[in-house]
Amino acid sequence: MQASRTAGIPFILKKAFLSACVALVLFSLMIGIRTEAGPDGQLTWWTRFGDLASIVGLVFGGSIIIELLRQWLGPIGAEKLVPAPVQRGLSLAGRFLGPALLVFTLLVPVIFYNQRYILDLAILVLTYVMLGWGLNVVVGLAGLLDLGYVAFYAVGAYSYALLATNFGWSFWVCLPLAGMLAAIWGVMLGFPVLRLRGDYLAIVTLAFGEIIRLVILNWQSLTGGPNGVSGIPRPTLFGIPLDNSDDGLAAKLGIDYSPTHRIVFLFYLILALALLTNWVTIRLRRLPIGRAWEALREDEVACRALGINTTTTKLTAFATGAMFGGFAGAFFATRQGFISPESFTFQESALVLAIVVLGGMGSQLGVALAALTMIGGFELFRGLETYRMLVFGMAMVLIMIWRPRGIIGHRAPTVYLTKAQAISSDLVKEGHG
Amino acid sequence: MTAATPLLAIRGLRAAYGKIEALKGVDVEINAGEIVALIGANGAGKSTLMMTIFGKPRARAGQILFDGKDISAVPTHQIAHLRIAQSPEGRRIFPRMSVAENLQMGADVTDSTEAERESTRERVFALFPRLKERVMQRGGTLSGGEQQMLAIGRALMSRPRLLLLDEPSLGLAPLIARQIFDAIRALNRQDGLTVLIVEQNANHALKLAHRGYVMVNGLITLAGTGAELLQRPEIRAAYLEGGRHA
Repeated sequence: MQASRTAGIPFILKKAFLSACVALVLFSLMIGIRTEAGPDGQLTWWTRFGDLASIVGLVFGGSIIIELLRQWLGPIGAEKLVPAPVQRGLSLAGRFLGPALLVFTLLVPVIFYNQRYILDLAILVLTYVMLGWGLNVVVGLAGLLDLGYVAFYAVGAYSYALLATNFGWSFWVCLPLAGMLAAIWGVMLGFPVLRLRGDYLAIVTLAFGEIIRLVILNWQSLTGGPNGVSGIPRPTLFGIPLDNSDDGLAAKLGIDYSPTHRIVFLFYLILALALLTNWVTIRLRRLPIGRAWEALREDEVACRALGINTTTTKLTAFATGAMFGGFAGAFFATRQGFISPESFTFQESALVLAIVVLGGMGSQLGVALAALTMIGGFELFRGLETYRMLVFGMAMVLIMIWRPRGIIGHRAPTVYLTKAQAISSDLVKEGHG
Repeated sequence: MTAATPLLAIRGLRAAYGKIEALKGVDVEINAGEIVALIGANGAGKSTLMMTIFGKPRARAGQILFDGKDISAVPTHQIAHLRIAQSPEGRRIFPRMSVAENLQMGADVTDSTEAERESTRERVFALFPRLKERVMQRGGTLSGGEQQMLAIGRALMSRPRLLLLDEPSLGLAPLIARQIFDAIRALNRQDGLTVLIVEQNANHALKLAHRGYVMVNGLITLAGTGAELLQRPEIRAAYLEGGRHA
């Protein structure tokens, strides 16, 4: 294994040659010969050997590059060809990456104040960061594969939308309610699936997500069905609206009104919500309940033997994850002002799950980076038009080849011994077991 | 054996997986301060007995008396709270969590104070210095023997009154297996810990134990002191001579 990984030029050439041969066989008919219906309906065909040659050449060159990259980057655990000082530098940079990102994020509205597009995109990214962090509790920490996370997002969004439009309750009253309602639904999903794991759990959660969407779609009298809910009130800064009216924030502060104020406010709102999610998750991980989630992911039988009530542990994981999904949903509703079942399709669940998996299950920073990559990447590749999804899919495949455990596969321990680590030197020897 | 109430008394215990009866009326007694070995061939029901004590599978008939109280209907997760700890078969440590976290998991369910945890942890490290060396290492990266030490250490963290060990020498090199057995002996002699040990390695287990039970097809067929059982010709034939080369 190790030998083949670091094998020299002959190995790489051989591998590239084989790939090229496969490409030749595969594309000789698909690209090498072009057939079409002629003007009289007869079959005309002509050859395109030039194109074929360039494709095969591309595969040959590409596979050499991939092999070289693989040797440099290697999966986790492989011997790295990167020199040690560079690695140390990278790990140092890694430690400051989180705080640096946070500071940058805080400054985004200042830097890009006049660029509405970037602000909107940043809000979108942060929404997915929050959803990713919420789902991370369920999937990353507790190891319960949930394909129906969008259901809680929907419950949160509709909770706020309906409470606000029907009763006129303010955002700040509805936000905790939306979270609580979503958490209740999380428990309701949790009960029937307590005994399921892995694929089976995934199927049931997938169905659950669809059920919620279909109920919303068909319960016309309550949810408006496919017409959705419109006229959802915008959030206020503790009762002060952010609009052009006389008692709006701009008027009270005596500054000129600008619609950007609301965007900036929304930005900080979702940032605060996301950071709350992050903070709660980090705190929970250090408590017995968070540890129990992680232990549950590792080995359910051992958990039971250690006296962990797996029922409540699973339900709290579902409820906590769902609650954050509900918060994010309420935010989504207030930001959009209009929601309909179309916003809560399976694609959203898949996207959030992809963010969690890509980021590295259980890693908070990894999830944030993955959300930035995925959502930002969507926008970045917009110029490529039809090829956007192709490029995007390839990028995901490449990440999974080089970082099979996600962008940040490292898991930070949460227990440190209270006493300083003074291990005597006679203990620190090479194991011989 | 007739002195005080035994710490654990199992009376006429029956348990089954679906229609297949794995325990067909088992009687076992463990007195406080004893090491009791349970030996038997594959599929005799040894591990089932261990798991039935923990309520998974549930007992269909009979009693499991811990300290005189029947625990056969107590939910699985509450049994650890009674201070019965188990080091399950195949170790089942948490591979992505560090050694320290694995140990902490054992202590989380108990209401022990921080000082008690600290002293228990020190005791575990004294028994298994290897664990202290590797305290920040991930459980999954430990060797098999170290993982077994960790599984026992994790069980000890709940300060148990009764420790159930399921095949602690499974898949270990003889030298490492001996270290594990030495540690169990030390726990018993120095800390007065009561131990029920299930083993296929009958020779080791019976030498270690005060008393032993032999299980065949879900029934206890022989009981006696460890030394007695070791002398029995049928034991020698079934578990020792034949198994020595295996």
